[in-house]
Amino acid sequence: MRRLRILSLLVLVGVLAACGGGVSTDELQGVALAEPTPKPDFTLTDTDGNPFHFAEETEGKLTLLYFGYTHCPDVCPVHLAQIAETFDQLSQVAESSVVVFVTVDPERDTPEVLREWLDRFDPRFVGLTGTPEELEAAQTAAGVPVAFKVGEGDDYTVQHAGQVLAYAPDGLLYAQYPFGTRQSTWLNDLQILAQIHPEEA
Amino acid sequence: MISWWCVALEEPWTWKWIPYPGIWAASIVPIVAYLRAVARSDQPTTRRQRAQFIGGMIVFWLASDWPLGTLGAGYLASAHMAQFLLYTHVAAPLILLGTPEWMADRILGRLRLRGVAARLGASLIMAGVAYNVILAVTHTPGVVSVLRTSQWGSFFMDFVWMVAGFVLWLPVISPVRELRNPSDIGRMLYLFGTTSVVAVIPASLLTFTTTPLYEIYELAPRIGTLTAREDQQLAGIVMKIGSIPIIWSTIGVIWFRWASKEQQRTQPVG
Repeated sequence: MRRLRILSLLVLVGVLAACGGGVSTDELQGVALAEPTPKPDFTLTDTDGNPFHFAEETEGKLTLLYFGYTHCPDVCPVHLAQIAETFDQLSQVAESSVVVFVTVDPERDTPEVLREWLDRFDPRFVGLTGTPEELEAAQTAAGVPVAFKVGEGDDYTVQHAGQVLAYAPDGLLYAQYPFGTRQSTWLNDLQILAQIHPEEA
Repeated sequence: MISWWCVALEEPWTWKWIPYPGIWAASIVPIVAYLRAVARSDQPTTRRQRAQFIGGMIVFWLASDWPLGTLGAGYLASAHMAQFLLYTHVAAPLILLGTPEWMADRILGRLRLRGVAARLGASLIMAGVAYNVILAVTHTPGVVSVLRTSQWGSFFMDFVWMVAGFVLWLPVISPVRELRNPSDIGRMLYLFGTTSVVAVIPASLLTFTTTPLYEIYELAPRIGTLTAREDQQLAGIVMKIGSIPIIWSTIGVIWFRWASKEQQRTQPVG
């Protein structure tokens, strides 16, 4: 009976420990960069057809930049859902942040398609498109591998960078967030990044 | 390639049917074996028992197979919890109720489980602890992630849940009368304590934590507008209140039988 009690206690402790994951820390839990890098400067077109100067329009804001496409079966929708669901809990941070989704599939991702898809996650998310050359230049400027088409016909996929780039309000990239980033990590890191303002950097 | 058992998939959820031959075999073989044993035996088996056994196996199949099995394996924590409830609170008790005493006796003897069953039947605490240990371990996020990503792991989890169901109900409705706990009050308290008290801890964790606990469901493509956190909260609610109708109905039945026995006992003779 004593062994049974000890076993039960161990199981309870184990469960509680396992459930207590995602503890907040003062450090970034994403893939931190050894040296923060500056925000890229590129201009693309938003879903209303207006030019969007990335560096200028996001100045002083926590900015999450992601290159993806709306037909992406797994990584893109999960990334955006994770960010949107985290923003639901961090309304103040969300208000002073901007999420920029740049399509790497301009052929299928028309501004309307892009807008409708992004609205499913959060209507505040900014969708950008451009010519293949402009999009390639934006990816190069952001320092991510340039996306490329895989397969033929209508059912092709696009091989693209899977990480979200997080720029603090001071305009520097401090960490990247690959696919698989948990909401606990987002919750922790977005609060830290939102506090890094130019004068404190 | 065809999977034989439900496993977490990395693609978005669709309503396209997926066949799982292993689940069909696990659902049909026991029914065939049961009916053959009943036909060959000269011992009694009622029509009700046959219906209960087959009903239990149908619930087992529904909980394991597409769509619920697929959803529970890799998309929704709430589906995972619904599976657990169906296995432990519906399929297992129906199978126990449908198994005639002579058959249960034979199975326990062949599997050399008579001693274990006797101990679980005699000690309500032991049965309650065993059930809750299985519940706790199989709902630990790390365990779910490891088991649900392989067919064998997923099969093992479903199998263990059925075992948990048998453990839970054995002291209450064991087909072998002597393995049933003799105390009516004890069985009522056991059912309440085992299913309603301990389960509140993980259910509350699921309902009230600010971030999703299960990586596998958090990182799965979303279904409809349900967020990962809402799905987890739903799982907590299913865990917390899903068992109430079955457990309280059973407690009610035991209560009325006990009251009726007490009344007969206290009535003056003659």
